[in-house]
Amino acid sequence: MNRSQGPRLRTRRLVALSVTLVVIAIFWGITRWETSRLGMPAFFTGFTLLAGLFLLMLLGVRRRLPFWPLGSVSTWTQIHLYVGIFTTAIYVLHVPALIAGGVLEGCLSIIFLMVTASGFYGIYASRTLPKKLTAVEGQHRFDRIDWVRNQIAAAADKACRQISETSAKQVLETFYQQALSPFFVSRPTLAYVIAPNGNRRRRLLGDLKELDRYLEEDGRRVAGQLAALVRRRDDLDYQFALQLRLRCWVVFHSLLSLVLLAVSLIHMVIVLRLVG
Amino acid sequence: MDSTPTIPVQRPSRWDEPLDASMTDADVAWLRTRGPFNQMDQSAFPRATPLSGILRYDCRLHRVEPGEVIVREGDYGNSAFLLITGNVRVLVDSLTDQQLGRQPTRSIGWGEALSRFLRRSRHPETRTPEQVSINAAAGGHQAIRQVDDRPAIFLQDIEGVLRRHESVSLGPGELFGEVAAMYRSPRTATVIAETEAALVEIRWQGLRILRRDRRFADTLEQHYRRHWLPIHLREIPLLRYLPEENMQRVIEATELRSYGRMEWNADYKKTRKLHPADQIAAEPLVVDQGQLPTELIVVRSGFGRMCVRHGAAHRTVAYLGKGHLFGIDEIAYNAMRPESMRPIHYQHSLRAVGFLDALSIPIEVFAAEVLPHIRKSELPESARSLQKSFTEKRSDRRRVRSDQRSEAADRFSPDPTQDIEHAAGVSFESTSLLEFIVQHRLNNGREAMVIDLHRCTRCDDCVKACADVHDGNPRFVRQGIVHDRLQFVQACMHCSDPVCMIGCPTGAITRDQTTGVVSIHDPICVGCGVCAAACPYENIAMAEVVDRKGRPYVDEKSGNAIRKAAKCDQCSGLPSGPACAAACPHDALVRIDLSESPPLSDWLEKRS
Repeated sequence: MNRSQGPRLRTRRLVALSVTLVVIAIFWGITRWETSRLGMPAFFTGFTLLAGLFLLMLLGVRRRLPFWPLGSVSTWTQIHLYVGIFTTAIYVLHVPALIAGGVLEGCLSIIFLMVTASGFYGIYASRTLPKKLTAVEGQHRFDRIDWVRNQIAAAADKACRQISETSAKQVLETFYQQALSPFFVSRPTLAYVIAPNGNRRRRLLGDLKELDRYLEEDGRRVAGQLAALVRRRDDLDYQFALQLRLRCWVVFHSLLSLVLLAVSLIHMVIVLRLVG
Repeated sequence: MDSTPTIPVQRPSRWDEPLDASMTDADVAWLRTRGPFNQMDQSAFPRATPLSGILRYDCRLHRVEPGEVIVREGDYGNSAFLLITGNVRVLVDSLTDQQLGRQPTRSIGWGEALSRFLRRSRHPETRTPEQVSINAAAGGHQAIRQVDDRPAIFLQDIEGVLRRHESVSLGPGELFGEVAAMYRSPRTATVIAETEAALVEIRWQGLRILRRDRRFADTLEQHYRRHWLPIHLREIPLLRYLPEENMQRVIEATELRSYGRMEWNADYKKTRKLHPADQIAAEPLVVDQGQLPTELIVVRSGFGRMCVRHGAAHRTVAYLGKGHLFGIDEIAYNAMRPESMRPIHYQHSLRAVGFLDALSIPIEVFAAEVLPHIRKSELPESARSLQKSFTEKRSDRRRVRSDQRSEAADRFSPDPTQDIEHAAGVSFESTSLLEFIVQHRLNNGREAMVIDLHRCTRCDDCVKACADVHDGNPRFVRQGIVHDRLQFVQACMHCSDPVCMIGCPTGAITRDQTTGVVSIHDPICVGCGVCAAACPYENIAMAEVVDRKGRPYVDEKSGNAIRKAAKCDQCSGLPSGPACAAACPHDALVRIDLSESPPLSDWLEKRS
């Protein structure tokens, strides 16, 4: 594949970052200048921060207006990203300490830092998790995951009922009742959803492999089917965990942004009243 | 002795599925007393497909009433019509969408777009009474009526239409619609019944066998050669500088050939699961690799697969679509080489994927009439280096023709300064992607929805945006076949070969001639499901419709629910354009033309 376009993307990123840094430097210069002439740069940086927050909120507004030609959401996302970096820098110029003193200001600082941190995590997550999702077999829609989970459970149950050999029936049915059925029927645990891993899969597949020596041909065939279903179900749970994380992150980031905006407005009103 | 048990079954035969199962021996006998069937030479037909069989199984009798629209301009169809009794009118002028019961695409302003968004229905698939049936809006005039056992659409004010629009009258024995049926091209005119008339609809398979009758074939051939071949040849960009006299010689020598099955969509589900080697082996061979070139193949319609022998099998190197050329490298090289150099053979095979209609220009005609009028920059690389000596040999002839050439250039080329790109086919550097696209016939898609799964966060903002601009009803689901990091989503691709448009009884599914968007006109959609069944990609859904209070519409006679076909309309008319692509926050989704390689290649390059 021709990679000549690759540098163009990198150039775009470099230009955008450079422009952001230049603007930050200009604002830093203005702040220094204001400080040197005994002005109140906190007003300047504060209102800039507020304007930045409003600008950042516009991404959400754009997403809710798909019927107007306001530019693509991906362009808005790029703008959101660089404005986010700029706003973080202005925050550093604005506050005396990373977490300001006072109850309201302290809360405001913590919320700002949480929103910022979640924003940066979002960049990381949106660039890494899709690749992990794609690497897993099957592309499941989030709203259909429960349905697919039930289908897998039903298929496992059917496979278990198919066993005709008495010895295999006894061995596999016992294992199915004790280990597989709870796995297939239940939803993944919270621990798995937070940090998905291959432990369950390895344990169950290892145990199934162990049963091979107690089984004859028919039993091994069914055990193979069950192993395939274990893999499918684990892949599905992995998809569920990562997709849920991506969705939760968006909800968390946007809700916290609203809270941030509200608290920022309160902070502004209080400051203006105090200054008179 | 071999004692392997056998399973006796009835061998499938040519006419297992007749066009009309209700055709009787009496109908056939009556048709055989009518022209042109009464003049046909029965001995010209093979024993397996006699004339009576064609009439019985490949034909259908229609009774049409005055004012009924028989075929519409722009529609696609598999059948030609032969007039038996009565008169029909071929409208030379185009009718407006409203006259045909369609809603023209209207540009929606910002205010109306907002108002529609805010007034989204709480119920799925909501329609107004006017959207459910054109009869509700026609002020007592029944625009859609049942004629015998089928729904038919009627023009309002037929006399006024005929008075205002230029038309040609056809009488008994005359055939129409055969070019669209044989060569899978849109109908070029609307035909309406002037009086009550009887017609025979002949499907293309039957029409092809009927051409075994010399007189019938000559009539069709002359008609095609006189009226359509010049148009088809002039559509080829490489011939845009050709002077008229050369063009005439090309027209005389060119032949049209057809390969494969036009109903490729019927086999699609089966063939897409075949191993690529088996699929390639099953595809009709147009030109075999290693033959000495004798003709230039120009794809007229359908699809071709260019492949090359690789080990024990064939590897796909490109796919061809309408307007693409096969064999130009070899022919140009052979025509321009010095005599001391050996001629080269076809370097690739060409096979029909589904069906392929090709114009075949003999090599000697191409070399003499066309080659001198091709720009150097448009010649294949191998021939370009040889062009100098070739040009010197022909310099005298070129000087004589220069005046004519400039005239021809003005006439045929919209932008003569632009070189033609990809005239020789479409290829991707990734062979597996190419094989995948051909295997799944995605090269049919002009506006395919492709998602880069390495960027897609599965947020479904695309689906939500689609639903937001379609009254709460998403017109696609984010699922589809996956190759590597690309997902080809199940959304209408607005195909080059829109098989969904064939067979719609009222012309409710249409293609916009300017944008190429295939859309459904609700008021004249009778909910028969022909389009949904025909779409091989399953991108059309049939939906039961309700009013804004959620009350289902039902047929007043049968009480059955009213259904409408629903599909992606590319957000036609909306100021935003396709909402799905604009809504993706990670630039992961794109609507792209897969019939050409540059859009997808460029898009992939940008994210590599």
